Parts: sequence; C-alpha cells; structure tokens
Amino acid sequence: MPLTLEIVTPEAKVYSDTIDTVVIPTVEGEVGILPGHIPLLTQIQEGELRVTKGGQTQWLVVSGGFAQVEGDKVRVLAEHAIDEEKIDEKAVEDALKRAEQLLQDASTTDPAQFEHLQELVRFAGVQLDVKRRRR
Amino acid sequence: MASTRDIRRRIKSVKNTRQITKAMELVAASKMKKAQQAALAGRPYAELMAKMLASLANRVEEAQHPFLARREVRTRGIILITTDKGLCGPLNANLFKLVSDIRTPAKYAAIGRKGAQFLARTKRDLLADFPANDRAAFADIRVVAEFMVKQYLDGVVDTVELIWPRFRNTLVQVPSALPLLPLQSLRHAIDDLDSHSGAAAMTQADDREILFEPTAAVVLEALLPLYINREVYEHVLEAKASEHSARMVAMKTAKDNATKLLGDLTLEYNKARQAGITQEILEIAAAQFAA
Repeated sequence: MPLTLEIVTPEAKVYSDTIDTVVIPTVEGEVGILPGHIPLLTQIQEGELRVTKGGQTQWLVVSGGFAQVEGDKVRVLAEHAIDEEKIDEKAVEDALKRAEQLLQDASTTDPAQFEHLQELVRFAGVQLDVKRRRR
Repeated sequence: MASTRDIRRRIKSVKNTRQITKAMELVAASKMKKAQQAALAGRPYAELMAKMLASLANRVEEAQHPFLARREVRTRGIILITTDKGLCGPLNANLFKLVSDIRTPAKYAAIGRKGAQFLARTKRDLLADFPANDRAAFADIRVVAEFMVKQYLDGVVDTVELIWPRFRNTLVQVPSALPLLPLQSLRHAIDDLDSHSGAAAMTQADDREILFEPTAAVVLEALLPLYINREVYEHVLEAKASEHSARMVAMKTAKDNATKLLGDLTLEYNKARQAGITQEILEIAAAQFAA
C-alpha cells in the first residue's frame, strides 16, 4: 500500500503524489515514514525532506511547520517548501547575505524580527546545503 | 454657446479619460481574478490545519494557552486592512466609518497606506503600519500578525480584532469586524477553518490514538500562532479581492460616465458646427443681396 504525501503552504498546495517512503525533519530528529506508520502529529523544523518513489530519491527543503501521518496519508503543513531542483543557488546566497547583514545590524531591532531573520538564515542555509550536496 | 474649438478640446480630454479608466478597469478585473485564485489556493492549508487542530482538541487543557485565556478588556487591538492606492470607490471610506464608530480605547495596526493615513489624521493610536502591495506574500503578512500577537502577549492590547472589507460579490463589499484573540475555543477555530476551506462536513474531533511529538501541548502552542497568521493572511487576500472589484466597478462607472458625456459633447459640437455653417450662408446671402 503506497503512501500519499501532500505538502501545503498558505500560498498553494506544492506537492501531492503517491510515494514509497518519506523522511521528515522533526524537531526531535529525522523520522522515516513507511506505510503502516501509527498516527502521528509532529512539529518539524527547517530541513530536508527525502521522498523515495520507485527507487528514486527526491529532495525537498521545508521550513518549520507540522506533519501529520494518518493511515496511508502523510500531510505536511509548512510555511515554505521548495523542490531541490528549483532552488536557485545564486538567489538563495544573495538572500542569505542580506539576512546576515541585517542580523549584524539588528542589535537594536525587536526580538521577533531577530528571530524571523534567524529563521530565514537557517532556511537559506539548509537550501544551500542540500543543493551543494546534490552536485 | 462655446466655440467649436473649445468643445473639440473637451471631447479630446474626455476621450483620454475614458481610455484611461477603461484600461484601469481591465487591469482591476484581471487582478481581481488573481486575488480570488490566491484565496482559493489557500484552502488546502486551512483544511489541513483544521484536521490538526481537531486531533488536538480533546487532548489538551484549553484554558492554559494564553490565546484562549480571557482577561478584562481595557484596550482593544485592531488590525485595519485597507488599500495602498485610491480610486476604488467608497471602499476605504466605508471602513473608516466603521472605525469612527469605535468609542472604546483602542490601538491600531494598519495594513495599507490609506488606513495608516486615516488613523494618523484622526489622531488614533497607531502602533505600526505596513504596506499592502498587490502580491501579498504570506511572509509579509505574517510579520503583521506576529507583531500584533506580541502586543497582545505583552499586555499592550487585550484583544486582537480585524477590520476588513468583506467580499460578498463583485458589486458588494461590506466593511466587517472579526475578533481574533482571545480565541473562543478550539472548536470555534476548527469551524472557522472548515468554513474557509469549503469542507462539506465538519471536521470532527479525532479521538483515535495518535502519537504527538514532542507533546500535544507543545504542538498546540506552536500551531495556534500559525492559525492567527493564516487568519490574517486570509483576510488580507479577501481585502485584495474586494479592493480590485471595487476599483473595477468604480472605473466602469467612470468609463460609462465619460461615454455619456462624450455623446452630449458631440451633439453640442455638431449643433455649434451647424450653427456656424448656417451663419456663414446667411452672411454670404446677405452680402449677395446687398450687392
């Protein structure tokens, strides 16, 4: 019995397909989901999501969010999700630089914004990691 | 009677106006469609969030979460969603009327320049203002929501409410208010998500055995701020759809008006031209007669 994986962000449903297995980056470490997993609701952090389908592995990068396993359905609720192939290394690097620059100057700004920037940096960092490793 | 040249000049200017309003109408129509699509694209997210909240609903002490705790309301916190640009009929003015009726102490955050200007002009307590550009990205809106939630948690405001132009149909946008915080209950939040996702059946509380990581309480604590972010985002999208349809209607009225004016002016021009010709013939005839 194959799994169905759905990834939704506030802006769109970015992924929907039947898959064999998926590895999800939860806050307590990576969790591999195989068919027949018990129902699970977990918080995820920014990281790579490995999808295996018919012997082929696909990498996706997600930012923080939640994942739910229910029967043969795996649903991921994330703020951003991007396919490894669609990552534009240059754009991410630029964004990373900008965010880091802001972080440097951000000693005065409020903590919420600081946290947001740090999140951006982490998300960008993961994207770059995955992209470079794949080459 | 105005000279034919004056009338011709006016015809030309009205024609230009008609062309511009026509173009703006078309632009607004296409933007409205995009805004409506964006609102639809958010449905799966609402659906999934409802499912997650439902599986948490019966497993955690609700009252412990600060979003669900009630407290005495001294200062209301209001997020006012307006537009950046004008020329959209009475859309913003109607929202301002609603704001003007608020007599209790309140602090505001504005999305959209028009709202910020209004609040500043009427000397209301404006905590922060944010732009409302056409590509309303979740990342931008989330900053607004998080800002307001922080004010709520810090005790600067005791409620978080939204005022936005509800999209009823292309012709009708109703200024509406919606309380966000404190949340009435999880059940209420789930029903609200259901109504937005267009789910046919109510999402039932899920009592089957589920593993929570790290724990149900932690997951709920992280999920509820997302719910508020989504809620604000959704209403910003709706406000966008309202804005563009209001602008489309306003521009259509302006265009129709210009067309009517053009008809009247053309008639007047022809009359003046005719009168001129008649006058000239009369003069020639008179001159011949005299000779």
